[in-house]
Amino acid sequence: MRSATPFLIAGLLVATSAGLVFADGDHAQIERGRYLVSAGDCYACHTADPSKPFAGGRPLQTPFGAIYSANITPDRQTGIGAWSDDDFYRAMHEGVSANGERLYPAFPYPYYTHVTRGDVLAIRAYLQTLEPIANAPPRNKLPFPLSERAVMRPWNWMFFDDGAFHPDPSKSASWNRGAYLVEGLGHCGACHTPKNVLGADMDDKALAGGTIENWFAPNLGADLRTGLGGWSEADVIDYLKTGRNSHDSATGPMSEVIQYSTSQLNDEDLHAVAAYLKDLPGEAGRVPSSASGQQTSSSGLSGSGEAIFLDQCSTCHRSNGEGTPTVFPPLKGNANVQQADATTVIRVILQGARTTPTDARPTPFSMPAFDWKLSDAQIAAVATYVRTAWGNVAESVSADDVGKLRRTLHAKAE
Amino acid sequence: MEKIALSRRQILAGGAAAAVVATERPASAHSIKGEVPWAPSQADAPHAIDPGGYIFFTPQEAALIEAAVARLIPADDLGPGAKELGVPTFLDRQLAGEYGRAERWYMLGPWRQGSDNQGYQSRLTPAQLYRYAIKQLDAHVSSIKDGRRFANLATEDQDALLSDLEAGKVDLGGVSGKAFFDLLLQNTIEGFFADPIYGGNRNMEAWRMIGFPGARYDYRDFVAKHGERFPLPPVGLQGRPAWSSKG
Ligand code: HEC
Ligand code: HEC
Ligand code: HEC
Repeated sequence: MRSATPFLIAGLLVATSAGLVFADGDHAQIERGRYLVSAGDCYACHTADPSKPFAGGRPLQTPFGAIYSANITPDRQTGIGAWSDDDFYRAMHEGVSANGERLYPAFPYPYYTHVTRGDVLAIRAYLQTLEPIANAPPRNKLPFPLSERAVMRPWNWMFFDDGAFHPDPSKSASWNRGAYLVEGLGHCGACHTPKNVLGADMDDKALAGGTIENWFAPNLGADLRTGLGGWSEADVIDYLKTGRNSHDSATGPMSEVIQYSTSQLNDEDLHAVAAYLKDLPGEAGRVPSSASGQQTSSSGLSGSGEAIFLDQCSTCHRSNGEGTPTVFPPLKGNANVQQADATTVIRVILQGARTTPTDARPTPFSMPAFDWKLSDAQIAAVATYVRTAWGNVAESVSADDVGKLRRTLHAKAE
Repeated sequence: MEKIALSRRQILAGGAAAAVVATERPASAHSIKGEVPWAPSQADAPHAIDPGGYIFFTPQEAALIEAAVARLIPADDLGPGAKELGVPTFLDRQLAGEYGRAERWYMLGPWRQGSDNQGYQSRLTPAQLYRYAIKQLDAHVSSIKDGRRFANLATEDQDALLSDLEAGKVDLGGVSGKAFFDLLLQNTIEGFFADPIYGGNRNMEAWRMIGFPGARYDYRDFVAKHGERFPLPPVGLQGRPAWSSKG
């Protein structure tokens, strides 16, 4: 403690100096920037090695190939230390790098474009306080012609609307704040909105569920069965703040989002996000659905599915599928389990899962892997069982689906 | 992750190690901070035995073992016996593996005579003990039953011999016949009731016989159902037939 005294004195000196007002304003801006960097989850994508935060190099798998994130520390050679504020704003707003090159939308600028200039500059101010780290991430691995950044020009023309966020005056201030966070820094649609073949959001299905790196980010609409229809605002807040609630707990890519981003949001902003999400339309309010959502007749496998469930899963998830809320998630009525795309269900059974630890819920529970023990047909059977038992309704899963995902995950792990 | 395997040697040395623990930590210990490590697809999967013929036993040894276990747990109207349920294969794989080599036991001196409740006391590993005792037993049989082998005796004669072994009436060339009998009986019971993944208890028949539900660990649905029969069939580490049924 003794060594702290000189710093205290130094602090007093600053406080009495003429620069006080300026320094204080700076400080507030930097702190706001730090908060917004959490809201934008910049750390998760821009950190490959935790000892080099924000120094980039994390590969992001896209359907078209791997794209490596950039170094956004203030290092002047390999980072963005030499950039002007305008360069930075242009990158966030238009997806164009300081040297004029087009950036790929794996950097979620189609969302960040909605962020106000004031907020962007606060982010910039905070990033400038980071320790500069020299690190030059590898170039992207996209196949030609996508490896030519110029192709992003027509992509942008077709799919990208750069534009400030326009509040909806008919809604509350909180709703508008929620919309600003979800559609902007939160870039929730990057995972939760289905993409067209060119990797752009299908706007008419905003937040209706999308596939991402061999996970499925579920529907966040009002649908009771597959969306957040059965969740209260408090449930949404609990989930985003602590990683779990009585309906579900986060395990896949959502873990990181919660850990580095949503668990860091203040209560007011969490309320705003929840209010906005709970006001999203359901399937019915979106597009007429072709899938009738009828329970497909079990492909003769439900008998084995039930046997496997009783022997291997009921210990944690209970034979009635109700689980032990916030410890072992209920599968009955669980939206993740009933998505049209069963990727998450199959994956969790194959590889096991662990609930993300958060400050509020530091003890993670985990589910064991079953890939060493159950065949493709057996996993298909038990996945089908959990998707159709206890009133759940979803398409059955085939052994082929399981085999495909098993091979993909296996290849990735090599 | 490193497995924690304490050998008898480490336990014996523990007293001395405790004195220096403050300055020197055992190399195998490591602390986990923050959260319990977890990675996808991690499993401490048990290894199923390779099916097929004997690996450890010679044909003659196998003949004696098959005959002996068939007397220790014979087939009767309750169900199949040790031989039918694969116990000889279980013993074979155990003796060929780390159990046979006494890999996890302290096997050095001092060689003072231990008491019965001190467990396995032989200087021989289980594999060495079986091999030696089987040879001696057949030699003993041959000498008293004019050249015949244990496996060829009538079952009553086999029972009489096994009883003599158990009663400590037979010396197997310096190895106590009782020690061999006790080990064989214990291992036979183990093979009869162990998970089928290890070669015995074929199709979980032994579990079915005694109403043991197998590798289950949740009975909450049944705690209030006093006096009722548990309805589910046994399940092994590799599942049960219903896991692969259609319908
Ligand atoms: C979903 C992952 C992801 C998130 C979240 C993310 N980025 Fe990035 N960012 C990338 C990728 C990938 C690139 C490189 C794109 C390319 O090479 O075309 C990149 C590039 C950039 C660049 C351009 C750097 C250069 O040298 O051209 C800046 C600036 C940037 N990000 C800032 C941020 C900030 C600020 C945040 C948080 C508000 C953020 N990023 C969040 C993935 C992400
Ligand atoms: C990197 C991709 C990604 C991003 C970005 C993302 N999510 Fe998720 N989200 C997922 C995935 C995948 C799941 C389901 C599996 C899991 O737990 O990871 C999920 C699950 C959820 C769930 C649980 C739904 C249910 O029915 O169980 C909610 C709520 C949610 N996300 C909200 C959000 C919000 C709000 C944002 C933006 C602040 C967001 N997500 C951003 C990938 C993402
Ligand atoms: C030892 C306890 C345990 C066992 C056994 C277990 N699970 Fe889980 N399961 C969990 C936990 C804990 C989670 C939550 C992980 C997380 O946060 O997503 C989970 C999550 C899931 C999910 C994802 C739910 C969601 O909302 O994302 C599915 C599906 C699932 N389990 C199915 C099964 C099936 C099928 C079996 C048997 C083959 C099984 N589980 C066995 C503990 C268990």
